[in-house]
Amino acid sequence: MAYVSMGEAHRRITDYLNRFSDAVSYQDGSSLKRLLAVSSDSPSLLSLSDALNVFQDASRLIKQFDKYSQFGEILVPLFRSLQNYRLGHLVESYQSFEKSSNAFIQEFRNWESAWALDALYVIAYEIRVLAERADRELASMGKIPEKLKGAGSFLMKVFGVLAGKGPKRVGALYVTCQLFKIYFKLGTVHLCRSVIRSIETARIFDFEEFPVRDKVTYMYYTGRLEVFNENFPAADHKLSYALTYCNPRSEANIRMILKYLIPVKLSIGILPEISLLEKYNLVEYSNVIQAMRRGDLRLLRQALQEHEDQFLRSGVYLVLEKLELQVYQRLIKKIYIIQKQKDPSKAHQIKLEVIVKALKWLEMDMDVDEVECIMSILIYKNLMKGYFAHKSKVVVLSKQDPFPKLNGKPVNS
Amino acid sequence: MENKGLYDPPRRRRSGPTANHSSSFPSSIESSSSSTSPSNKPLHNPSRNARPSNPNFYRNINTNRNRDNSTLPNNHHSKTTNTHQPEEGDGEENLLSSFSSLVGTCPFMCPVEERAQRERLRDLSVFERLNGSHGKTSPSLAVKKFCRTISTKNVQASDVRPLPVLEDTLSYLLNLLDSDEHPFEVVHDFIFDRTRSIRQDLSMQNIINTRVIQMFEKMVKFHVMSHHKLRRCSGSLNISSMHHLNMEQLMKVLTSLYHLYEANRNSHTTYENEAEFCSLYVLLHLSSDSKPAGEPLSLWFRHRSPILKSKKMCFARRVLRYYRFGNYKRFIHIIAAEASYLQYCMVEPFINEVRALALSCINYGGYKLYPYPLEDLSNLLMMKESDMESFCRDCGLETSTDEVGKKFLPTKQTTFSHPKGGVNYCLVGSEFVYGESFG
Repeated sequence: MAYVSMGEAHRRITDYLNRFSDAVSYQDGSSLKRLLAVSSDSPSLLSLSDALNVFQDASRLIKQFDKYSQFGEILVPLFRSLQNYRLGHLVESYQSFEKSSNAFIQEFRNWESAWALDALYVIAYEIRVLAERADRELASMGKIPEKLKGAGSFLMKVFGVLAGKGPKRVGALYVTCQLFKIYFKLGTVHLCRSVIRSIETARIFDFEEFPVRDKVTYMYYTGRLEVFNENFPAADHKLSYALTYCNPRSEANIRMILKYLIPVKLSIGILPEISLLEKYNLVEYSNVIQAMRRGDLRLLRQALQEHEDQFLRSGVYLVLEKLELQVYQRLIKKIYIIQKQKDPSKAHQIKLEVIVKALKWLEMDMDVDEVECIMSILIYKNLMKGYFAHKSKVVVLSKQDPFPKLNGKPVNS
Repeated sequence: MENKGLYDPPRRRRSGPTANHSSSFPSSIESSSSSTSPSNKPLHNPSRNARPSNPNFYRNINTNRNRDNSTLPNNHHSKTTNTHQPEEGDGEENLLSSFSSLVGTCPFMCPVEERAQRERLRDLSVFERLNGSHGKTSPSLAVKKFCRTISTKNVQASDVRPLPVLEDTLSYLLNLLDSDEHPFEVVHDFIFDRTRSIRQDLSMQNIINTRVIQMFEKMVKFHVMSHHKLRRCSGSLNISSMHHLNMEQLMKVLTSLYHLYEANRNSHTTYENEAEFCSLYVLLHLSSDSKPAGEPLSLWFRHRSPILKSKKMCFARRVLRYYRFGNYKRFIHIIAAEASYLQYCMVEPFINEVRALALSCINYGGYKLYPYPLEDLSNLLMMKESDMESFCRDCGLETSTDEVGKKFLPTKQTTFSHPKGGVNYCLVGSEFVYGESFG
């Protein structure tokens, strides 16, 4: 920590206090927000923290003048938070910040227009980030991490403040997204439901009014929830929306969206080019896609096994497993094509034994009964048109369109 | 400081059989003040003297447990409408934080006061009656009832049973399953209620060690077995609501058990049964749109990578894969070959469903000129041929017979329908026999 003289410390603190009260007086949201970003490591806040740790009694300064003391409930704990953050005491930093934020919200309620919304966004962001770091500190000390959960409660309160008829309501989606991040991190994803319900059904909200950035984030998270719930058409719609409106230069975000959108698209039979995977570093899907193109069941199984942990963690494993049906369809189609080349008149009749042999080449051990079972399922789910004859152990494909395409719909369940 | 409504009195009456046990508990216990907001407790509660171990254990279960009407993380939020309807189980887990240092001292299966009062009110279960008397019981017969409405202020240590007593109580209750004296649903009902009370006592004392794990494992087994047996009881409306409530409770107890495993993760014992009990979750959620509450499987799998590789879990995952694919042959055969008793109980309702799917597929895609031999069909679906015939009929399909008496299923019939009712055809060639005793 840099050495600061008492005089210099006094100057820095007074300077900050003036900027704060001026920002409020002139309703200057963008200046105000910079003063609240505790975790940002901005040079001015760092130098302020150094000053605070030297001066030690900033609250006396605050109480000295009305134009500062009226915000005393916000400033005193905020200073404490900054000091503690600088010293690496993250739990205390969070606790003070939460106290300060509570006071801030009380003031915010009284400010009529939405001028301070940007500052509120910073508060919401900081609450989450400081809570995450506080929890890490708690865990490292062998204690139960519970600050992030507390941050969630706080943000629900903030949501309540924004959910009214006035201009402040456009801030609600940002807060919602912070809540999503918290719930996803904590694994308490079911808690998203109530806030989603508010956004989507409350009459005061018009989804189109929200800022694009927030809409994209919102659709990303709700799209992921649809993936967890295996609602593929809805997942496709939401994640595609996020992709469409995402900032094209924000490659990291595009990658995150694609990570979930690709399995969804695969489920409805739409295969991306390998170049897309390479561009966004999603090569874990390349073997899966290759397997689908080739009808290579063995490759699919290998790909799932190789990246099992990754797929399980992101929650797409079960989605990818389901692709097996499409891979079977492709395999049978290939056999059909090969037979057609040899003898077009007989191509549509495939002996089950032939399929058994093909599977054996793929190191898959299946008897005729199981192959018949699979054929019957493919027919039943409309991935194949035709019939199978048990007695003669043959599957007979329809002469017209024996392998219907999915046409953007998931395979019939 | 006012104790925020930790516990909402139930707002709807259950229609199930245990709703009859409505007689009130000793008058010292009254319902706490209800708040209109959800019962989830405030997350910052500095007035509680939290124990260093895991003071929030039962609290965490409550907020993490998925509910259909999910509630907000705390009561401050004013905006969203409160659609929270507390389920019966709320009584168990919600009480905890006020009792951070409660240690029960009741040495009996039932506290003395309650026993006396229930004798007076003649509110004794058939298992508690001394020589059949409706008004007399004994310490070795009376078992504390589950009480939904308990004021946080008025619980006495003498009304709460310590861990050893709870363990003995649980053993006593489960032994009742061995006797044939009463119909199963009556025994089930009694044990269902009394084990809830056991869990309530545990949560009041915030006990979460490995002995509690063993108790919860036994309680899960009880619910799984009931799940299996209640399907076979003579169908009355009562039974089906019992079955539904049992499923609900099964989910809750399972979820608590998972939390217990997590909470005890640092100790050196490994839980040999954990893999099997986790596999039950998968089997409960085979169908994508299945009813049991709880996280969807994709979410549930996310942080469980180690256990997902275990043998029991791999079995459950394969069953899931075959079910979702529609591979009826492997689905049925792998269950017959590898399922444990508990896993079989969980998966049994799906077996008939998959058999019906098989008939549906064969009927749909089978060649019209070659009716499918029932003998082959029976082998495929692991049924006795006579059962196969009945099953076809249950599905609205006719069978045919040839000159030498061999039976067939003609295909392309238009009368297929999903069989109603839970008639069960056993798995031929497997060891699962109805009536297996509680292990």
